Amino acid sequence: MKCLTIEQIYLYIEKELSPSENKNVESHLKVCSKCQKALEERRLLSQAAESLHLWEIPPDFTQQVMARIFPSKVSLPAWLGTLATGFASMVVCFFILTLVTGQNLRSLLLSFTEAVFDFIKYLIPLFVKVLKLSSVLVTIAQRFAEFLLKGLTVLTSIISTEVQIIIISTTIILIVSSIYFLRRKLLFGEKT
Amino acid sequence: MSSMNEDRNLVNRAILGEKEAFEMIIQKYQQPLLNYIGRMVGERELALDFTQEVFIKIYSSLRSYKPQFKFSTWLYRIASNTIIDYWRKKKIDAFSMDGQRNQEKDLPPIQIQANEQPLARKFEISQLREKIERALDRIPGPLREVFIWRHINELSYEEIAEIKGLPTGTVKNRVFQAKEMIRSMLEEKP
Repeated sequence: MKCLTIEQIYLYIEKELSPSENKNVESHLKVCSKCQKALEERRLLSQAAESLHLWEIPPDFTQQVMARIFPSKVSLPAWLGTLATGFASMVVCFFILTLVTGQNLRSLLLSFTEAVFDFIKYLIPLFVKVLKLSSVLVTIAQRFAEFLLKGLTVLTSIISTEVQIIIISTTIILIVSSIYFLRRKLLFGEKT
Repeated sequence: MSSMNEDRNLVNRAILGEKEAFEMIIQKYQQPLLNYIGRMVGERELALDFTQEVFIKIYSSLRSYKPQFKFSTWLYRIASNTIIDYWRKKKIDAFSMDGQRNQEKDLPPIQIQANEQPLARKFEISQLREKIERALDRIPGPLREVFIWRHINELSYEEIAEIKGLPTGTVKNRVFQAKEMIRSMLEEKP
């Protein structure tokens, strides 16, 4: 018998031959060392091929695909949610108050509106006072800035240009280095 | 319930809008699909994107699935077409079938070479696996594809023939060619 073809060898390994072909191959293999060796080689190759590694699936892969197929509905803007919650809480409060006080909704709403107006009445003078105080503070800050500017003008007229440059450079260096050290300290604090 | 009936049941439930049914399909097929796509495209991130894409395509065309065919066959066909489209768009020749078809027409029976070097003496099985993985990247797309389906995804020759729409004999031939090509690459000196 002629030597086996590679196809015959593979089909023999995979048990894909008919019983008569299988018998012929086996009887040839008994007498042919070359074909025996070729069979062993292909068997080894097949074994290695069948045990190749699997590609690792990320743990959230299914969820990722599902999220792409069924994207979740767009949620309401946050401010609308807060407003709705506030309104719902108010309704609940009114309901509880009608139960506790025994008053009807109309009188409760009237008392609530009166209370709100009273609160605003007290709030307006307070707001005016805060405004006055802020205007005084702004005037003080303005005067202080004018004083500082005058002082600097006097100083620059007394000190020579070279000394001015030295003072400005030293100030810049001091500011930059203090920022740098402060940042380093903060970062170091973060690490620890 | 057989795997085929189980798949049909899941598909029907998914068509009716049951999300969990499609989730089960993903869980069942994500591993074999990634094994196939991963080795076809080579890069992990790209392979994961492609696998997601294939599942999305499957979901959007679930209604066109014909229950008389195996679901896995339909799924692999979609995956295979997605990869072929990718190669075409990228103008990569790895999946060109022209040269391959010519080879198949008059393919002579592969004969055992007289000077074959014994592989067993050269490599341990684990080393052999690594070498096969590397060689697999270098063989033509149509051969690589059938090799993966046959040896990694453990599909039958008939299933592969159905996916590719080819005669079973041609599929067998391609698998053997792939193996012999890998074998000859293992013989090459590094």
